[in-house]
Amino acid sequence: MIDPCDKCEEVLQPFLDRELNDAELREAEAHLDECSYCRKRYRFEEKLRMYVRQACAEEMPPELKAKLAALRTPLV
Amino acid sequence: MSDTVRAVSESTPETGARRIAEEARERVRFEEEVLELADQVYRVARRLVSSREEAEDLVQETYARAFRSWRSYTPGTNLRAWLMRILTNLNIDRGRREQRAPTTQPLEEGDYYLYNRLEAEAGSEDEERIVQRLSQDGIVDALSAVPHDFRDVIVLVDIGDFSYQDAAQILDIPIGTVMSRLHRGRRILKGQLAEATVAEGA
Repeated sequence: MIDPCDKCEEVLQPFLDRELNDAELREAEAHLDECSYCRKRYRFEEKLRMYVRQACAEEMPPELKAKLAALRTPLV
Repeated sequence: MSDTVRAVSESTPETGARRIAEEARERVRFEEEVLELADQVYRVARRLVSSREEAEDLVQETYARAFRSWRSYTPGTNLRAWLMRILTNLNIDRGRREQRAPTTQPLEEGDYYLYNRLEAEAGSEDEERIVQRLSQDGIVDALSAVPHDFRDVIVLVDIGDFSYQDAAQILDIPIGTVMSRLHRGRRILKGQLAEATVAEGA
């Protein structure tokens, strides 16, 4: 399937990663305001990113923390 | 005071002892700050390697090296990025690149491929619902299937929360490469997720 909106292909990623400068950000937001196709996909991508982050939020094993602390330089 | 005079005055036993004490304090402070970052470092490490054991080893090696080379850290600069650079270098040194190539070429489709597939499957227009069709285990598996070069940038930016600039410095690659790998890596990730979801539903 061909994406009908090349504009979003280009700005979606830096927009979602908060890497656009102010002028670019305003331009991207203006585009999203008027393009419902991109808006839906933008929201999806945003949720997906959050979901990936949650899925990868694995806790560090507590014993590892103790092992790391033990690597500190001993105080003489 | 000229440099010569200062050098002489600083070499007295008293100032020497003070300097040693000050350095010890600095080191303790550094070590505490580094330890506070352990959870974040582990989370990134866990997704860079395939098993929990490997991740634990990698984090321990990273900390051992960080504590040893604490003098090479410039106070006031990004400590998390400094640590992560040690970690990614160690990970590459460990020969993880020798890992077998995937038997199948990772699927890479357009940016909206996953959305389009899921939307068709879910029969819903609600983005939240659509994304919830993905299982968390499925996401972890799909990420593991992304080739290393691409996965490194995804993990640093999405899970480590690093800027493009930081990721570029950590991996020692140009920022443009960070962006293109990120873009391609995410396409691969989404392609994997789309395939897994469709296979699950079948």
